[in-house]
Amino acid sequence: MAGREAVKRAVQQVRPILSVDREEARKRALNLYKAWYRQIPYIVMDYDIPMTVEQCRSKLREQFVKDRHVTDIRVIDMLVIKGQMELKETVEIWKQKGHIMRYWKESQDPKPTDFLSKFIQGVH
Amino acid sequence: MSFTQIARNCGRLAATLGTKRMASGAVIQSQAFRMMHRIAVPAVANQVSQKFALRSYSAKRTIEDIKFRVLKVVSAYDKVTADKELASSRCRWQTQSVRRYSAKPPLSLKLINERVLLVLKLYDKIDPSKLNVESHFINDLGLDSLDHVEVIMAMEDEFGFEIPDSDAEKLLKPADIIKYVADKEDVYE
Repeated sequence: MAGREAVKRAVQQVRPILSVDREEARKRALNLYKAWYRQIPYIVMDYDIPMTVEQCRSKLREQFVKDRHVTDIRVIDMLVIKGQMELKETVEIWKQKGHIMRYWKESQDPKPTDFLSKFIQGVH
Repeated sequence: MSFTQIARNCGRLAATLGTKRMASGAVIQSQAFRMMHRIAVPAVANQVSQKFALRSYSAKRTIEDIKFRVLKVVSAYDKVTADKELASSRCRWQTQSVRRYSAKPPLSLKLINERVLLVLKLYDKIDPSKLNVESHFINDLGLDSLDHVEVIMAMEDEFGFEIPDSDAEKLLKPADIIKYVADKEDVYE
């Protein structure tokens, strides 16, 4: 009986990735935001992208707001880690201009909404 | 030199010029000069009448007129202050010693207060009419946590020191920021 309880507790409590509570995860996310925000002027300068600092900041906010609904601490941690990896890649210029511009998705066509264009593109 | 003196000198100059011309026999030239004078007078009158016409037109006060006038005044004001700054700095350059190392101007609580509120007013997501020293950023001013981070970063830029995250999350009102900056800079009055 005691053994089963221990197993149940172990199964219920997942191993944390980085943060143990919500507050810590929130702090990490805000820290990442701050790091990106501070880096943006240098990104604009280094990569010579045809965007202003303001546009980049609104895009940064958009990326963060996109994941606003996430409540799972482990998911938040994973997103933060991914964000940090991307920041590292950007800072070290392991990326190229196209990789930065991909955030704006200018070369992607918007998904068709009406019937005929869906039919023509073969999207159902 | 007073105005009358200048006028007298001008008169003398004109007289000497006239006599020289007469002496050299260039009467036609001086006549042409006189004609020029006559032509110039209506031109001036024309300008004046145009100005009056403009004025009477602006008395109607359409939106465009008001906008135009306001922009004109603002740009003129801009120019004046820039000149003033330049002139005063030049004067200072001559009179005062140039030795000024990286010392900051002394802060007072009032100055910190003004600077904090100015930064917040210039932040585009805050409504300046709602802004108060005691207004809560998130509850009263409607900012989210990302905006709050931006505000704290703006304060870091304004006062030139870094605010650690553990302190930043406690600074939820302008009053808190003022107090924090004052503590950090050892300002007590």
